[in-house]
Amino acid sequence: MTTRTEFLSRIRTEVGKTPGLFSARTAPRPSDPRAVSETIKRELAERWPQALERFQLEFERVAGVFHRAASIAVVPQVVAGIARENEVRRLVAWDAPELGADLLDALTARGLEPFAMPPGDLADATERAELRRRVADAELGLTGVDLAIAETGTLVLRSGAGRPRSTSLLPACHIAVFDRTALIETLGQAGVFLELWNRGELEGRIGAVTSFITGPSRTADIELTLTRGVHGPKEVHAIFVDQVIRG
Amino acid sequence: MSETDLSVPFRRRAGSALGDKHLQEALTIATTKFIGLRRDAFDEFPEGERLRDLAREIKEATLQHLDRYVEQLIDSVERLGGHVHYATTPEEARRVVLDIAARTGARMAVKSKSMASEEIHLNEALEAAGVIPIETDLGEYIIQLAHERPSHIIAPAIHKTKGQVADLFAKELKRQVAADPEELTRIARVELRQKFLEADLGITGANFAVADTGTVVLVTNEGNGRMVTSLPRVHVAIMGVEKVVPSMTDLMVFLQILAKSATGQKLSVYTTLVRGPRRPGELEGPDEFHLVLLDNGRIRQIAGPLREALYCLRCGACLNVCPVYRQIGGHAYGYTYPGPIGILLTAMLEGPGSVKDLAHASSLCGACVDACPVRIDIPKMLVELRREIDEARIAPWTERLAYGLMEKVLASPTLYRWSKPLARLLQRPFARDGRIRSVPLAFTEWTRTRDLPALAPQTFHERWPTLK
Repeated sequence: MTTRTEFLSRIRTEVGKTPGLFSARTAPRPSDPRAVSETIKRELAERWPQALERFQLEFERVAGVFHRAASIAVVPQVVAGIARENEVRRLVAWDAPELGADLLDALTARGLEPFAMPPGDLADATERAELRRRVADAELGLTGVDLAIAETGTLVLRSGAGRPRSTSLLPACHIAVFDRTALIETLGQAGVFLELWNRGELEGRIGAVTSFITGPSRTADIELTLTRGVHGPKEVHAIFVDQVIRG
Repeated sequence: MSETDLSVPFRRRAGSALGDKHLQEALTIATTKFIGLRRDAFDEFPEGERLRDLAREIKEATLQHLDRYVEQLIDSVERLGGHVHYATTPEEARRVVLDIAARTGARMAVKSKSMASEEIHLNEALEAAGVIPIETDLGEYIIQLAHERPSHIIAPAIHKTKGQVADLFAKELKRQVAADPEELTRIARVELRQKFLEADLGITGANFAVADTGTVVLVTNEGNGRMVTSLPRVHVAIMGVEKVVPSMTDLMVFLQILAKSATGQKLSVYTTLVRGPRRPGELEGPDEFHLVLLDNGRIRQIAGPLREALYCLRCGACLNVCPVYRQIGGHAYGYTYPGPIGILLTAMLEGPGSVKDLAHASSLCGACVDACPVRIDIPKMLVELRREIDEARIAPWTERLAYGLMEKVLASPTLYRWSKPLARLLQRPFARDGRIRSVPLAFTEWTRTRDLPALAPQTFHERWPTLK
C-alpha cells in the first residue's frame, strides 16, 4: 500500500519540476472573518428588506414556498396550514433552543403530532434506531436556518446537537423558520461565514455537516423531465418571521 | 445500447451510435437543452466571466503548491478524527474500500454519484466481495439496473426513454409501472429510501475538498449525497488529488459557476459540506469517515502535457457543445469519461495509447474552451496528444506515412515542386469536378467520410510568376 510519505513526496517531486502555466494566486481570504461577518450583518440590518425581496423571488423560482409571519407565535398557525393542505400530522422538529422557541404545545393544540429532537446524542444504538424510525416516519420536518442567501434562494443549515441532519432530509415536507438576522445577500458573503464557522472556538461546537438547500429535491434523469422529491423533500417552505426570533 | 465493447474499433462504435435513431434524438434534445440553460444562467450573471478567470487562476495556483494543500487536507481530516488512505492505482483504491467494508462488516453500500468510483470500477469489486453496491442517483440507479455505464457525466441515463425505464423497473423490481417520469421517480424513491436506511456503508466522490478545513464537498440535486453521508455508519469518500481547493473562500468561487455550467441552475439543490465523522452530541452521521486520495495517473501530469486537464470540475459543459459528442454520445468513447475532456482524462488514466483513435474524435473547433468554466484549452492538448501518439508510433502506419511524406514535401522547395505534377498524375483516376471522393487501398477509410479538394491545374505558386 502507498504510504502518506510516498504519496506526498511523489506530488512534491512533480510540483518541483514545473513553474506552472502562468503566475497565479488563490482567492484573497478575509484575514478576520469575524469582523467581516459582523460588517455584513451590520449592513444587512438596514438593507434586509431588499435582501428579503430577492430571497423570496429566487426561493420561489426554485419552487420553494414562501410565508411570512409577524412573530414566532404565529408560526404554528402557518405550519398547521401546510399540514392541513398536505393532509398530514406527524412532525419532527429541532430541539427548542435550536429552533428559537418551543412550539410543541401550540402545534399539538392545532391537531399536529409534533416530536422534538433530543438536545444531544442518545445513550445507545437502540434508542438512535428508534428515533430514526420516527423521523423516517414523519411527514413534516421543522428546522431553523443559519443563513438565508438572497442571490440564490438558498437555506444554509448546520448540523449539531439538537439539530440533526435528518429533520430537513427524511420528511417529504421541510419547513424552515428564519428571521432577518439570517439574511445575507450573496454566496461570496456565505464564504465569510464558512471561514468563520470552521475555525477557532466555533469549530468545536458545531456539527460535521453544513447543508446548502436550494429548493426541493429534484431530478431530470428520465428524459430530462423535471421531477421533484426524488430522495429529499418534495416541498420546502420558508417562514420569514418579522419580529426577530431571539430578540 | 449495451455495454461498450472496446474490442470493437472506435470507428465502428461511433458508426453504430450514428445509426441509432433514438440515441440521436435523445442526444440532440439533451445537449440543446443544456446549452440553452447554461447560456441563460451566464447571461443573467455578469460577474460570471470574471469568476471563471478567477476559478481558473485558483486551480493553477493550487497545482503550483499541490503538495502543500494535499498535506494540509490530510492533516485537517485526521485532526477531525477521519482516516486518509492513499491509492496510486485503481487496484489499490479498490483494496482500501474492500478492507474498510470487511473490517466494518458491511453488507450493503449506498453510493451517491461518483465518477472516481466509476473510474476504479468499484461496483464489480464490491459485488465480488459480497457487498451489494446500490447506486442512488436516479440516472445511475437506472443504468445500474440495466448493467450499463453512464453516457453523460451529469445525466448518466440520457440515452434511455421513459418506456425503456418502465420496462426495466418491471423486469428488475417486479412491478408494473406506467412510463411516466413522475411515477418512475416515485417508485425509485420508495425503493431507494429503504436502502439508505439499511446500508452500512456510504460511498461518495467529492466535487471539492477544502484543505484548510478538511471539508469534503458534494453537489447533488436529488439529496442522495446527504442521505449517503448521514445515514450509514461508515462514510468513504473517494477523490482524485486534483479536487483539493485551498480555502472556503476559494470554494465559493467554484460554487458560483459550477451549477450554472452544468445545468444552468444558480446553485444545485444540495451542496453538502462534510467534515469527518459525526461530532460529539450529534445524533446522526457516520462513526467512521475515510478519505481515499486517488492518483491513477494524475500526479505525473502535474508537470506533464495534460496538466490543464487537472483543472476539470466534471461539469459536463464541454460534452454538450462538442459536435462529436452530440453525434455519438458517451458510450461510443468507450471509457469512464466521455466527450472532449474525457479523451484527455482517458489519456491521463490509461496512457496515450488508449486514445490513438479518440484523439482524432474532435474537430478542434474550440467550442469546449468557450463552455468550460475554467477555460481548459482542450484543443491544444488534443493536438499535443496527436503529436505524442505519432511520435510514439502508436498511430496507424498509413497515417504516419501520409503525414511523414507531407512533412518532407512541405519542408523542401525542390520536393514540393516535383510533387505537384506527380500528384496531378496520381489523382487523375479519382478526381471528379475538383473533388476526390474515394481513394483505394489503405486510404479508403479516410475518404469514406471526407472529400478532398483535388489539386488545381495550376497552383498559386505556379501562377505567381505571371501575376507579378
